[in-house]
Amino acid sequence: MNTPSSSKSQSQIGSVIVSAFFVLAGIITLYDTTGYSDRDSQVFPRAVAIILIITAAIALVREFLKPTDEGGFGSGIWWRRCLLIITMLLACFAMPMVGFLPAGAIAFAGGLIAAMHDNWTKSNFVLYWGSGAVIMVAFYSLFKFLLHVPLP
Amino acid sequence: MEFGHFLSAMSPFNLALALFGVVAGTVVGSIPGLTATMALAILVPITFSMEPASALILLGAIYTGAIYGGAYAAILLNTPGTPSAIATTFDGYPMAKRGDGDLAVALACFASVCGGMIGAIALLFLAPPLSKVALAFGPIEYFWLSIFGLSLIASLSDGNLAKGLAGGAFGMILSTVGVAEISADIRLTFGSQVLIGGFGVVGALIGLYCIPVLIDLVAVPDRHLKVEDNVKSVRIGEAFGIAMNSKFNLIRSSIIGTLVGILPGAGGSVAGLVAYSEAKRTAKPGQKFGEGEPDGIMATESANNATVGGGFIPTLVLGIPGTPPDAIVLGALLIQGVRTGPSMFSQSGSVVFTFIYGLIIATVLMLPAGLLIGRYAYKSIVTIPKAVLVPAVGFMTIIGTFAIRNSISDVVIMICLGVFGWIVARFGFKASPIVLGLILGPIAEQGFVQGWTIGAATNNLVGMFFGRPISQAILAFTLITLILPIFLERRRRNTSMEDE
Repeated sequence: MNTPSSSKSQSQIGSVIVSAFFVLAGIITLYDTTGYSDRDSQVFPRAVAIILIITAAIALVREFLKPTDEGGFGSGIWWRRCLLIITMLLACFAMPMVGFLPAGAIAFAGGLIAAMHDNWTKSNFVLYWGSGAVIMVAFYSLFKFLLHVPLP
Repeated sequence: MEFGHFLSAMSPFNLALALFGVVAGTVVGSIPGLTATMALAILVPITFSMEPASALILLGAIYTGAIYGGAYAAILLNTPGTPSAIATTFDGYPMAKRGDGDLAVALACFASVCGGMIGAIALLFLAPPLSKVALAFGPIEYFWLSIFGLSLIASLSDGNLAKGLAGGAFGMILSTVGVAEISADIRLTFGSQVLIGGFGVVGALIGLYCIPVLIDLVAVPDRHLKVEDNVKSVRIGEAFGIAMNSKFNLIRSSIIGTLVGILPGAGGSVAGLVAYSEAKRTAKPGQKFGEGEPDGIMATESANNATVGGGFIPTLVLGIPGTPPDAIVLGALLIQGVRTGPSMFSQSGSVVFTFIYGLIIATVLMLPAGLLIGRYAYKSIVTIPKAVLVPAVGFMTIIGTFAIRNSISDVVIMICLGVFGWIVARFGFKASPIVLGLILGPIAEQGFVQGWTIGAATNNLVGMFFGRPISQAILAFTLITLILPIFLERRRRNTSMEDE
């Protein structure tokens, strides 16, 4: 469990890292603009990159001088968060090989397991997986056959 | 503008089309990833065999329904169903989280009908003179308008302006990724083919708003939305009372929506943001925008629906589509053999006026249809178990994002942006400024570069950027929006110190 002081230090470290990332993103953008052939392409990203570097640097310095407590990552079960995202990404990479519906089923299964905090019973097992199948087939049919989206 | 046109619009066939269009549009608009443009593009072929006025009524009804439908997902899932509903998430989702989702849905419906009516009435009575507004806007005015929209960052930053501005700037940099529109340079792709197409706005919206909510939902066993036990349905009476008390906000936001709708390229998202910014700027003491303030929802929803009527003004009078859905309607009109332009109101008056009356009727029909659909949408979302809701929404985000450009890469980008948005939000960098930058970046860049080029060519850069009356007015509003909250905060602090 996070204590208030550890939460604050976590929040401060996180804010510093994110601010530094934004400063870096601004520097990379400035560097990238040197390769553009047309001046019209450079003006806007350069101006915005400078604004990004300045504002992110102010946020970074301010975090050192006057640390804020934004809460950080807070509480919550990490394996559930990771499972949700990993299965969604896995579905994307599997899509060209297995097709949209089986890939979508991977994402759905991951999401269902991640979000299931109650005990599994026979009835909710059948109900949740059954309604999941109906939802997936319904949306797949809507997009594939009615909206003519070329789903893999 | 004869009574016969009104009767023609009231024919059973046209009424049925208007009702069907509103319902279909609302349902489509409520699904994240399906936009009004897609709904219209898909249904356009149905209209080819219809009379031009009936075809227009159907398309107008779908359009107005889709813009309203975007509010459901914004309120109940923190995911704008359409880009127009971005600012609806600011107060809609906090309202839903505290148990007022039903009230928020009803408020969105009343506000959408109000905005839609004012936009359609402006189209009926003021189309030719208002179309001149579109012509008065040059690239610099668009640039300042987008900067005005970006000034909303100041009020979205929760007291940390530097983080808000950094987020907005980062969003604008994301908007430059890919092929530059003006000079075709390839920017910030680092040699990756995946990034050449840039960041799609709808995919980014889904990622930045929806994925963080899913990540938070799975991590804790709590219910996804708080539900009041004694409330059985959408709180229509209460919502009507609140809407009546905010008449000025509704009318002002609807006028903003109509005027922004007239401007080609601006659209419902800009209208909603500008109206929200104005509502927040003129907030009464005690109103907490961003924490579930009903006026925030009403400002956004009335403005984005007013852009429907507003957008048809340049489309019909000048032949210049105000928004992508208007472009599809324009295409449908051309296929029907109806020529748009300044003489359209005299030469094809029967078609135009029947259509405008039909649009008004469709907007009125949106009230019962919207409240009914809203009631079921709300009940479905709050009663569905979280274990089904999360994977279902996750599946919808994947299929919706894929459908926009038929690209798996867009889905991967959407998920990665979502995770990124969740992480940075945990440290005070909210998603809203990033989204604002992403949406307004291209408008700002185009206006800035074109204005810069013209100014440099005429050797009058200062005059180009600061010398035009409309630019000066928008700039003044922007400065007021930025400075007023600081001034009011100082005055509030001084007053509280004196009281102590």
